[in-house]
Amino acid sequence: MLNILLVDDDSEFSEVVCHIVEFLGHNIDTAANLAEAQEWFVNNTFDHVFLDFMLPDGSGLHLVDHLESIGQTPKITLISGHPSVKGKLAEMCAPNVGHLVKPLQREDIERVLNPKKNTEKKKSKPSVNKHFGTLIGESPVMQQLYTMIERVASTNANVMLMGESGAGKEVVAQAIHNASQCAGPLVATNCGALSKELIGSELFGHEKGAFTGAIARKEGVFEQAATGTLFLDEVTEMPIDMQPNLLRVLESKKVTRVGGNKELPVDCRVISATNRSLTDLAQNNIIREDIYFRLAVFPIDIPALRDRKEDIPLLAKAFLEQLNDENGTDFKWQTSQLKELESYDWPGNVRELRHAIHRAFIMSDPKGKSITLPPNLESPFSRVNKQTQANQVSAGQTIEEVEKELIHATLDKVQGNKTLAAQMLGISTKTLYNRLNAYGGIGEYS
Amino acid sequence: MSNNETLRTLVHDARAPLNRISMNAELIKLVLENDMPKEKALAALDKIIANCQQCSESLQDISDLNSTE
Repeated sequence: MLNILLVDDDSEFSEVVCHIVEFLGHNIDTAANLAEAQEWFVNNTFDHVFLDFMLPDGSGLHLVDHLESIGQTPKITLISGHPSVKGKLAEMCAPNVGHLVKPLQREDIERVLNPKKNTEKKKSKPSVNKHFGTLIGESPVMQQLYTMIERVASTNANVMLMGESGAGKEVVAQAIHNASQCAGPLVATNCGALSKELIGSELFGHEKGAFTGAIARKEGVFEQAATGTLFLDEVTEMPIDMQPNLLRVLESKKVTRVGGNKELPVDCRVISATNRSLTDLAQNNIIREDIYFRLAVFPIDIPALRDRKEDIPLLAKAFLEQLNDENGTDFKWQTSQLKELESYDWPGNVRELRHAIHRAFIMSDPKGKSITLPPNLESPFSRVNKQTQANQVSAGQTIEEVEKELIHATLDKVQGNKTLAAQMLGISTKTLYNRLNAYGGIGEYS
Repeated sequence: MSNNETLRTLVHDARAPLNRISMNAELIKLVLENDMPKEKALAALDKIIANCQQCSESLQDISDLNSTE
């Protein structure tokens, strides 16, 4: 972190530069003229001074002289609004004085503050094609998804996105929003994250004084998304008694703020998302049928990552490229690593892949070029639970096979105690013996 | 003040809003890249719009100066 002084008489310019420099992680103070700047130096030291060339009370060069005379040697970057000054500045060529010409760019500021990272950062063009500016993947299932997005984008139908957690529902919503080229913004809200009390005001807005704590009028997300797209994530987590209110808005295309009496027109596409399956929705009374049909005029299934494994290398490359860009590194995948990523089943889908890559990126030797994958990719949520998978039945097995497997699994569990096993299986000990005899496996447990 | 000097001042005046516009645009980029509150971006956009207006007025002054020559 550096202490920086900005000397410029344009206060509006100074203010925004301050925001940017603070964001880059430095301290910054400002002075509007030479006198103020000299005052700062009475009791403070600075690592770097950005100095306007033309100040109301003289040239910035006077401050350079002044600092020399009081024995302070911060780095100085003279900023001039006039390209012709550049020559004059270059002539001075004092070692600690640099110069920049307005209009400044953020990269200029970063470069003079971190001279070490001077290596020309070429913005490599991403090599992975992003569909609709967001989606990565060329597999057949994704191609189908792209076609659907294209079709639905040209209409104003409400879309319901279904897919596992981490499959990229919000990214698809963004893609639909991008493809529909509507004028308004994409407003996202997570219905699962809102408390029962707040959900009404979040969705529909409220008038000042509508309830305790409503100190100002608030626009609901339906209003914010006017002429744009409203993304309702985890819509199925919305309390069922709130759903009639939502239905009313969807049906009448009008919204009334909480505590308000004026109906405002609603003019946005609603994209909702859920990670529950259709059968779960239907059986467990999670969403009212009438709402479902309103929201899911056009349902879209987002494929799980394990159903499009061929896209894993593309995604891995895109994520690594992004990390390289952000951190100025140059890591590359090895083919064997991409194969390893492809062989894992990614129960957390693209999100899990992305985080696994980020973790590997942090673990890797920053001086090296190759990334280090952890020896085990599995997360606590991994579904590759081999035991339960082995016990699953599948079509094509005979009853006898399943029965045999079940008997053996039960016996294993109780360490071969046949009386206990028979009890658990709900058959007599005699039947158990008979069965084991029939399979010819009695020897194992005697 | 000679016409030439006036012109120089006017060009300087026209450049100031451009500098602010460019910095505000950089700020918006930072806001968007880092998912910061959109109010910051909106405020910066408002400043850009105001400065465009100001820059346009300065250019008009330059153009008026030219026509009086």
